[in-house]
Amino acid sequence: MHGSAEDPLIARVAAELRRRPPAPPDFEARVMAAVRRLPPSLPARAWTWLREPRTLAVSPLGGLAAAAGLAALVIVGAWAATRSPAAGGAARVAAAPAAARDTHTLVTFVFMAPGARTVTVAGDFDGWDRVQMPMRRDASGLWTLDVPLPPGRYQYAFVVDGRRFVADPAAPRAVGDDFGQPTSVVTVAAGATRAGRGSL
Amino acid sequence: MNQDVSDGVLVRRVLEGDTEAFAGLVTRHRERGLRFAAGMLGDRADAEEALQDAFVRAYRGLRSCREPDRFGAWFLRILVNRCRTRRAGRRRRDGLFVRDEAALERAASRPAGDPDWREEIDRALVRLDALQREAFLLKHVEGLEYQEMAGLTGARIPALKMRVKRACDHLRVLLQEVNDARVG
Repeated sequence: MHGSAEDPLIARVAAELRRRPPAPPDFEARVMAAVRRLPPSLPARAWTWLREPRTLAVSPLGGLAAAAGLAALVIVGAWAATRSPAAGGAARVAAAPAAARDTHTLVTFVFMAPGARTVTVAGDFDGWDRVQMPMRRDASGLWTLDVPLPPGRYQYAFVVDGRRFVADPAAPRAVGDDFGQPTSVVTVAAGATRAGRGSL
Repeated sequence: MNQDVSDGVLVRRVLEGDTEAFAGLVTRHRERGLRFAAGMLGDRADAEEALQDAFVRAYRGLRSCREPDRFGAWFLRILVNRCRTRRAGRRRRDGLFVRDEAALERAASRPAGDPDWREEIDRALVRLDALQREAFLLKHVEGLEYQEMAGLTGARIPALKMRVKRACDHLRVLLQEVNDARVG
């Protein structure tokens, strides 16, 4: 019963439309071939990247400058977050790449949510996993996480307490979101070393 | 594929690394998906591409499927969005309404007096406004409740009811004569 029995004509139309020809026999194989061609998920690649031993040659002056730059980014992010009103547990977000290395850019996600018990980052870079990328909370309720990302355009959201998806209000919203959740867009440019809030 | 295995079990297998388990979900949901996409896009090849695209996106985003046992409903939402995006892309590429008109031309160019009831329906469907067509297919062909449709489309229930009513009214006008001839 599909609610069209009260109108014989509509019922006949609906019944005919339910008799569509079947999918071609190779359809499943085509889909699976496309699925198998997908690159491995980003957490796996990121983990590999993080574990790879590498030598980083930094001059004393360069190291001092890099440390100062990182500290400035963290301070600016924290200042922006604390300046933002967090009404009813709503969050403010600042995200910025902290450094670039090889082909990846280390993107720092920052999220102010003092009332949250857990916050994770989920996005198409980790298969929208709600648990794999937990953020760390400081005493003020500021949650942060560094994620190395190769150049590209990604959709992401923050997951509060394992259930609620929250888009980044400081970043562009994703258009045509497939999964019915509010999401934001982050773009990591090739060779990027820094970017403003919400427009990485 | 073991029909006794639920969607939820297959989803969990995929998430645990068994990529091939996804084939079971494809097999189980491809016919309904193709039926809906073909109705929405009016073109079989386009529908197959949209459906394949939706399955690949579903695979990539499978961890965001909150209720694995309701994979079908979750997947249909992805497919609805893929069909909308595909239509929008066609409009940008071909110009507003051009493609729908082309589909209409193809349908109308079939032999005059063609008794095939199915072709008459296809011709009528492509004449509907896209949102009305979407609502009609979800309600009367897929048999969804309005509450489910609201979750899928993001539209409010009164708006969906109005779309379905208008689609039915339009289809009656377009098909009544043909239907009378068939049943008469």
